[in-house]
Amino acid sequence: MTPSPVRRRKILGTLGFGLVGITGGCLRQARSLAGWQSPAQVQLEIKTVPDDSDPYALRIARTVADWFDAAGIEVGVVPMSEQELHRQALLRNEFELFVMRLPNLSSDPDMLYTLLHSRFADDPGWQNPFGYANIEVDELLDTQRRTRGTRRRNAVTQLQRTVAQTQPFTMLVVPDDIRAFSPASFTNWRAADLDSPLGYLMLDREPDGNGTLRVVVTDRRATTNLNPLAVEFRRTGALTGLIYDPLGYVIDGRLTPWLADTWEFTSSSPLVARVSLRDDTTWHDGEPLTADDVAFTYRLLADTTLRSETDEDAAPLPSPRHRGPISLVETVRVIDDRSIEFRFVDANATVALRALTVPILPTHVWQDRTDPVSLAGIDIGSATEAIVTNNIPPVGSGPLQFVRNTPRENLVLERFDGHFLHRAERQSDGLPGLIDEVAFDTLTVQVVGSDVAAVGMVADENADATGTPVGADTVPRIGRSTEAELLVQPSRSAYILGYNTHHQHLNNPRFRHTLARLIDGTYLSETVLDGYGRAAVGPLWNTSWYPDELEWSEGNPETPFIGSDGAVNVNRVREAFREIGYRYDDDQLVGGTS
Amino acid sequence: MQLFAVIVALHLIGLLLFVPARDVPSALRNARSNIRQVGPTAVLLGGVLIANSFIRNAGVDLAWLIGVNITRGIYAIEGTFVASVQSVATPALTAFFSFIYVFGYAFLLTFPIVIYALIEDGEPLLLTLVAYSLNYGLGLVSYVFFIAYGPRNYMPELVESILFTNWPQVQLLTGLVNVNTNVFPSLHASLAVTVALLAIRFREIHWHWTAVATGLAVLICISTMYLGIHWLTDVVGGILLAVLSVSVASRLVTKSLGTGSVIRLPDVGL
Repeated sequence: MTPSPVRRRKILGTLGFGLVGITGGCLRQARSLAGWQSPAQVQLEIKTVPDDSDPYALRIARTVADWFDAAGIEVGVVPMSEQELHRQALLRNEFELFVMRLPNLSSDPDMLYTLLHSRFADDPGWQNPFGYANIEVDELLDTQRRTRGTRRRNAVTQLQRTVAQTQPFTMLVVPDDIRAFSPASFTNWRAADLDSPLGYLMLDREPDGNGTLRVVVTDRRATTNLNPLAVEFRRTGALTGLIYDPLGYVIDGRLTPWLADTWEFTSSSPLVARVSLRDDTTWHDGEPLTADDVAFTYRLLADTTLRSETDEDAAPLPSPRHRGPISLVETVRVIDDRSIEFRFVDANATVALRALTVPILPTHVWQDRTDPVSLAGIDIGSATEAIVTNNIPPVGSGPLQFVRNTPRENLVLERFDGHFLHRAERQSDGLPGLIDEVAFDTLTVQVVGSDVAAVGMVADENADATGTPVGADTVPRIGRSTEAELLVQPSRSAYILGYNTHHQHLNNPRFRHTLARLIDGTYLSETVLDGYGRAAVGPLWNTSWYPDELEWSEGNPETPFIGSDGAVNVNRVREAFREIGYRYDDDQLVGGTS
Repeated sequence: MQLFAVIVALHLIGLLLFVPARDVPSALRNARSNIRQVGPTAVLLGGVLIANSFIRNAGVDLAWLIGVNITRGIYAIEGTFVASVQSVATPALTAFFSFIYVFGYAFLLTFPIVIYALIEDGEPLLLTLVAYSLNYGLGLVSYVFFIAYGPRNYMPELVESILFTNWPQVQLLTGLVNVNTNVFPSLHASLAVTVALLAIRFREIHWHWTAVATGLAVLICISTMYLGIHWLTDVVGGILLAVLSVSVASRLVTKSLGTGSVIRLPDVGL
């Protein structure tokens, strides 16, 4: 079927001959031959972060590169800072493949809506960075949003199956988060997940403990930017989450009132809820926090220019970090000083309430940040001050308030006594007992260059815990230390290989499916992660929504590894690529249209 | 503190070896006149160093805007060469090269300033300071245009970050927190080779020093690779930068000394 390979130099030679001979026939032949240019070797580039920033990403990327190389693909790994990687992969769509950690999706399957729906394919941030477009998936995403009970469950199951088949991204491995901590001043570390702001609230203070919680991190971005809207500066959002309060937090799988006191649905079609705020809420600068701030926040996050409300032609510039929750809200109306009415899009109540998880921002600070950004007087459009400001000092309403920062070195936050957690009259507020007032007076975040240095800081009693997770190779060091203790918690954020489906080859789901079969998740978890992690097939692997047939058992049930024990079976790989229309030429994978 | 103490000790040993006791009075006289003569150049070097520490952070941001990420290219050129250098690692060698990288380097850079200040001829001291300024200045420019991560950051499964693993405090000490993209060219290699080139050029002053400086420079170049910090490409780039800096510095110094006028500040590399 495939035409015999026609070498480019032959065409050039023919062309040269044609020019010398000036024979029209030759030229005509050359022209028709030029349409049959031989496809070049498949080349791919994997972008990821260096070893200093993440204990595993680069090792994983290079292991994947080796597997692809064995399949005859020319592949290179390019390391860059986390901020730059987010900028290139999530904002500018400048990538072919990336290895990154997927944000935690476990609270509700609707988290997949913005990740995979084709209507978000051109949006910046974690909104479908793959450019993935699949009509069936779009419909299933819409269905699961609207329905409940068995119908929703079936849609989510079918959705996960289709996603596993079409591979907009490949799940690589889910790591354990390893941390070193010192029990000297604070306790209850094992219950506290430092990837979430709530984790910091679960710590207890030893009676004679120091009042300062000293956290050491390898991610310096929080020392230069505390803007909850800035995609490229946020990893888990734990620190900004301590400064800003949402109306509700998902705790143990249920949305629990936080800044809100209560909420009730007043209509089911259309879905309308009335949310009332806690009493006497204030911002860190002493201004009162009212229903107006809540309504303003939802309008701002939906369009940071605030123009599209009045001008229908103006393109909205939504906050790239909050598209999911915000996409659930139709309108927000202030009823009185303490209550707000939310009218939702067509969605079931559980999904709709997810809209209440965004950080509430003060009107008096953010209303002046709606102008398009200009650099040295030149309007560069497509972003507003609200999205790009470093937001230092931040004014929030959360349990911690900003004290000072030294860019790239440290950040100091302190307990905000005006927070409802810290009020004397606080009683039966509906929060689980574990979440208590802040156990420390001051939180210091110090930046070091690598996870080894971070562990060293805890071992030398210069820090209480490593805020960012460290690599498995530091475990012996933590074990040897008399001061530091080891904390291993299953993470909810997987390493993924993201595909840019706008790219040649990667736009072909069968090609992606075959690439996924070059990845041995078991090898990654056992060898690269040293056993501190597990392989998984789909992003909802740790939820009750995960179908049995996608469970990892002896290998990936959907894209089984072509090979064994981390070694690719080259002959079978070639067979697999030939089956989908590719060829091999001098051990190089060639094919596709160029 | 520890670094400072060790360097002072090394200097004292060096001085005892290279400067005979009977020469001390004249050496001190020379130092006074030399310090007056190189004053402006020393200010220039100080300025470059201060600018360096300030611009480095801004430079990293600028580099991500306009620089080229050449890590993959370097890897394509030399592959796993650094991994094979590191394959000979033993605890003793690691301790030795760590010492060379931190203390040997600091000593190699500061000692020529001391011994050249103590001789009558002012040219070696002036040339050293100008060459240092050029190294730092050109190095800084290069870091803006070339973004590269070192082998320890690029192939962690093959190259261990030996220095920082065995001696995590060094990372705090040397302020390497923010500048892990600044590896091409290696300033360790370029400054060490600069000192060695000058020591060879002025070998009649202290031939012992020439031998020590050359040996140390070679060891420092090896140590940057052994410790997984630099690529061979960085070291080669560093050597080229050293040759360039020394030759440009010589031209500038000859010119300013030759005309007999006040030494003008060279404006290259700033």
